[in-house]
Amino acid sequence: MSPSWPRQLRALLLKDLRLELRTRDTIVAMLLFSVVAMMIFQFAVGSRGDDLTEVAGGILWATLALTAVLGVGRSWVPEREQRVLDGILVAPVSRLVLLVSKVGAIYAYLLVVEVIAVPLAALFFIRGGQASDLLLVAAVCLLANLGIAVLGSLLACLALFARARELLLPVLFLPSLLPVVIAASGATHAVAGGTNDLAEYRGYLLFLGVYAVIFGLVAYATYDHVFDD
Amino acid sequence: MVTGALLALSVFGVFFVAPEDADQGVIQKIFYFHVAIAMVALLAFLVAAIEGIRYLRDRNPRHDDVSSVCVGIGLAFSVLVVVTGSIWAKASWGTWWVWTDPRLVTFVIVLLLYAAYFVLRSSAEGERQARYSAIYSIAAFASVPLSFYSVRVARSFVHPVVFNSSGANMPDSMLVWFAVGQVAMIGVFLTALQLELIQLRADRALRRVKARLEAAA
Amino acid sequence: MRRFGERRAVDRVDVDLRAGECLAVLGPNGAGKSTLLRMVATLLRPDAGEIVVCGAPLPDKAGAARRAIGYLGHDPLIYLDLTARQNLELYADLYGLDDPRDRVDAALDRVGLLARSFDAARTFSRGMAQRLGLARALLHDPRLLLLDEPYAGLDAAGARLLDGVLADLGPDRAAMMVTHEVERGVRLAGRVLVLRAGRPVLAEATAETDGAAFRARYEELVA
Repeated sequence: MSPSWPRQLRALLLKDLRLELRTRDTIVAMLLFSVVAMMIFQFAVGSRGDDLTEVAGGILWATLALTAVLGVGRSWVPEREQRVLDGILVAPVSRLVLLVSKVGAIYAYLLVVEVIAVPLAALFFIRGGQASDLLLVAAVCLLANLGIAVLGSLLACLALFARARELLLPVLFLPSLLPVVIAASGATHAVAGGTNDLAEYRGYLLFLGVYAVIFGLVAYATYDHVFDD
Repeated sequence: MVTGALLALSVFGVFFVAPEDADQGVIQKIFYFHVAIAMVALLAFLVAAIEGIRYLRDRNPRHDDVSSVCVGIGLAFSVLVVVTGSIWAKASWGTWWVWTDPRLVTFVIVLLLYAAYFVLRSSAEGERQARYSAIYSIAAFASVPLSFYSVRVARSFVHPVVFNSSGANMPDSMLVWFAVGQVAMIGVFLTALQLELIQLRADRALRRVKARLEAAA
Repeated sequence: MRRFGERRAVDRVDVDLRAGECLAVLGPNGAGKSTLLRMVATLLRPDAGEIVVCGAPLPDKAGAARRAIGYLGHDPLIYLDLTARQNLELYADLYGLDDPRDRVDAALDRVGLLARSFDAARTFSRGMAQRLGLARALLHDPRLLLLDEPYAGLDAAGARLLDGVLADLGPDRAAMMVTHEVERGVRLAGRVLVLRAGRPVLAEATAETDGAAFRARYEELVA
């Protein structure tokens, strides 16, 4: 008798993507922000001259982490406006489905940003790289996004009704995001930093997977309490 | 009382009885406290997470009280860890801060993680405050080992490894005083926990009486 | 019972709503009417006491209760940047309705928004948006209607529609309406419950009651 959850998940996800397609608020802001952030980092470490291959991974992931905070902060805004969340919560939707739909939406936003930002970072900072390295970096993105989206959607719920939530979310989110930045920039550096150390790359990737699983478990253990007023 | 005596005993033991380290000298003594404090800080965060889980289970505000007080104590101890670690770093490596020591760097991350706990707490109200705090205390505790490993793989191992897989890497007389110091620190933790809880409850009782008086007036 | 800090927002309320009945919950601002309704709607968890919706005890069987509940508050609870149709289709999927297209069409037609169904809800007037909210609340044919000041944003057409729904509940459905409009509550509901500072001060059937006369008594009760 319960409504089927795949249908609910599809509907919720479709709704987020439709809203984003219509308004384009979040993605455009994230894209512009990521480009500006990369520029800033470039100037901050710019004394090394034109070849930033050594620090490209670090710049890319510092940028993406900050961009993620921006996107995650926007992720529950449609539900907060006009208190639509009440309408969703009154419907027979598992809170897990609701949370997973938001993970999917955040994941999609991050992916769109990365499709632009990663090649741009390669163009800006890497000298003498190979196109095939981009595929390896894409794998890093796919895995890192998962951890970011899971933790982000959970913490964004906690900041949803808080006073000064725009300030709260980065403070909550960034310290826990640090391991992702370290591992993802390490992995990127391993394949694009001129060394091509595949063993190190795999190690970092494994860590990103473990990170996503651990916070997946935390989210799974607590999801029922997030909306349980 | 017991805690005070234990603490005095361990201070006495560490400074006057335990042998001096061959190449680090008197400054090595700080290690007894540094490590014990670090362990207690982690213990406090563990208790906070467990009490967080228990709060989510039964929504008894007592668990929230214990959880939040534990985070507070853990935070205070973490500051001490970073300070003593920094002193030690100055003594052994000649600089106040090293990024190459994963444990020390992890504790700075832990400081940030749990400082955010109180930012979250002050921004929410009522039952939500307790519930959100509990969820965050669990997530933050999951972050601690992840942070540690990520910092560790990022850098080398300059930190003196005291315990290794073949057992404790120090003379027995040091080990005894180390154990005494550790027990004393756990005593400090438990005492602080109790005092804080008493104060918290007294505060709350006082506020309730005030509210009643105002209502009556 | 629901506490907000030291204050008890709703205390010792004991209501039993039968199928076919409509209950109006009256009371001044801050009496705990909305809190009571939100607890029944599974949006708030009571600190003590029990709530059973259509045989489903809360919060354990909240899923079953939610399928039976239709909720309409001050806000229409729709996404302003989706079209009217997309909004209802989303809710049709969330409730797992069969033939979602037909159901959505019928619901839009009922509230007179079929012609505007492909327009974003942002372009709607307050009254139209609230009518869309009414269509949303009625979409899955709920057995228990929970209404929180539903007339506040409704235009004349919407109000007539809701009057009709409440007057013709049928034998299987029930409604609970929070309102501060005393006369309307008395006229539409078979029973009233008056709350004051979270406590019930009056509960009675109003089949024969005259609205104006009741209002005088009500003013006295809550003063």
